Amino acid sequence: MNLIRDIWQSIVRRDPLSTDKGKSELVFLNVWLHIHPAKVKKENMKFRHSFYLGFITFFLFLILLTTGIALMCYYRPYPPQAYQDMKDLQFVVFMGPFLRNMHRWAAHGMVVCVFLHMCRVFYTGSYKKPRQFNWVVGVVLLLLTLGLSFTGYLLPWDQLAFWAITVGSNIGSYAPIVGGQLRELLLGGHSVGEAALLRFYVLHVAVLPSALILLTIVHFWRVRKDGGLSRPVWKLKPKTEQLVTIGAPPAGVPLQAAAASKDKTYGLMEVVTGKPIFETITPEEEEDTVFSYPYAFVREAVVLMGTVTTIMVMSLFLNAPLEQLANPAKTPNPAKAPWYFLGLQELVSHSALLGGVIAPALMVLALLLIPYLDRNPSRRPAERKLILWLFTLFVVANLALIVIGTFFRGPGWALVPPWVHVVGGAE
Amino acid sequence: MNRRTFFKFSWGTVGFGALISAVGVSLGAVVRFLVPSVFYEPPQAFKIGDPADFPFGPPTFLVDEKIFVFRDRDKGFAVASAVCTHLGCTVAHFQSDNRFHCPCHGSVFGPDGAVQHGPAPRPLQWFEVTLARDGMLRVDKDKVVPPNYRLMV
Repeated sequence: MNLIRDIWQSIVRRDPLSTDKGKSELVFLNVWLHIHPAKVKKENMKFRHSFYLGFITFFLFLILLTTGIALMCYYRPYPPQAYQDMKDLQFVVFMGPFLRNMHRWAAHGMVVCVFLHMCRVFYTGSYKKPRQFNWVVGVVLLLLTLGLSFTGYLLPWDQLAFWAITVGSNIGSYAPIVGGQLRELLLGGHSVGEAALLRFYVLHVAVLPSALILLTIVHFWRVRKDGGLSRPVWKLKPKTEQLVTIGAPPAGVPLQAAAASKDKTYGLMEVVTGKPIFETITPEEEEDTVFSYPYAFVREAVVLMGTVTTIMVMSLFLNAPLEQLANPAKTPNPAKAPWYFLGLQELVSHSALLGGVIAPALMVLALLLIPYLDRNPSRRPAERKLILWLFTLFVVANLALIVIGTFFRGPGWALVPPWVHVVGGAE
Repeated sequence: MNRRTFFKFSWGTVGFGALISAVGVSLGAVVRFLVPSVFYEPPQAFKIGDPADFPFGPPTFLVDEKIFVFRDRDKGFAVASAVCTHLGCTVAHFQSDNRFHCPCHGSVFGPDGAVQHGPAPRPLQWFEVTLARDGMLRVDKDKVVPPNYRLMV
């Protein structure tokens, strides 16, 4: 029995979780948990502050990683076989449809949650100093998520996939000067074919996920370094009060070492002068914190289980579509891109250069520059009405375009309300 | 500038320059690597068959080549591209109004390929069609011709 105890204690080296020391050691002696602080602010865990959208997005990505790796075991990225493998996954492979459904719905969910997460961060003003650059990282993560969805869309090699990517990649070729060459580089040819399928596969399973994982690490790290989640707007201190660093001497007075206490140990952490860049907390705020174990971890576990359960239940009842084998000669009518690109397609149907290249480029640029253009230091909604209205307009315009593209466009991209059923179509 | 700083500066410049050029050359090589040296795609010039096999009147749509072959009793042969100039969807020719309709964004092209409606930026292309030595019709998609180009056989 001693042997078993020795082995256990060699793996788990912390004090019992009944003690405060054990609770903090659980966090900072564990490589996976130490991205958390040992203690978190109670208010920051409130559901109505963050809606846990960042966590949900991350958990959806974990679902995508695991189901994606499973699907790779039965998929060959080569034109006729790719479609046969999809059929196999649908009819032959044990749990094949379920896994594919999970991958599909988690992917759509991730696009939705990344967007909602961005909205939450915007409305709470959480991109403001010192978090400006983390907003930029977040926007790049949004683009990577869309890139992953776009590359994954081609892989089934059915009519839906083929024409969505044909249309989508042709939009890119309208970019001035390099557009055509970029498209050829992406497709590895002049049209969507074998080479394009292989390249999209490489991007989808290797290049983009690696980039996404690396940037996610940066994203999380910076959140942690900036003092965890931003304070809920309702907990903001009155305007005049300045942030106070615990024990910091007034400006000009040299930093003095505190007298050592016999019942405490000290690690040597950055004994340098100067103010920290990250959010610091006051002694009153310190009383407002609780240990991450169990309070934060239990909440995260509940969100994880809720996310997985939702995707599983959806996957039981909703099947991912699979149309006929890709046929370059026959364009389905109407040929629609994935729903989150239908706003873009709607713009493109009016002008390819203006709607397909210039408008989206300006949108991305505006998103990237928001934290630097918005010079207003206040996070209080009452003091930033104009920019809240502007952002709401941006969100509503995007949603409206997607709704029009999804529900109001019929054969020949004609304006057809969803309650009118077109029999046969133009052809 | 004394001897020591001079050498510090020189070695720094040489080292940094070497690093930048190495990175630059490597990036260039990566981009070139991604450009295929050989395209395993259907050839741009191909034979489509015996002129006598094509009917007069409505155009013949060749699925794999994505072209329409027109044959007129008086004017002869003409070949039009079936690829919409907007975003690459395959257009259909409607006999009812003798026009080309794109299913994706509603572009409509007239009998000569000119844009009559919708977002397409350019008219449909017409390709050179010639008579090969063995008497077959030969189309070259790399050679774009004006819409009034005709081959009399």
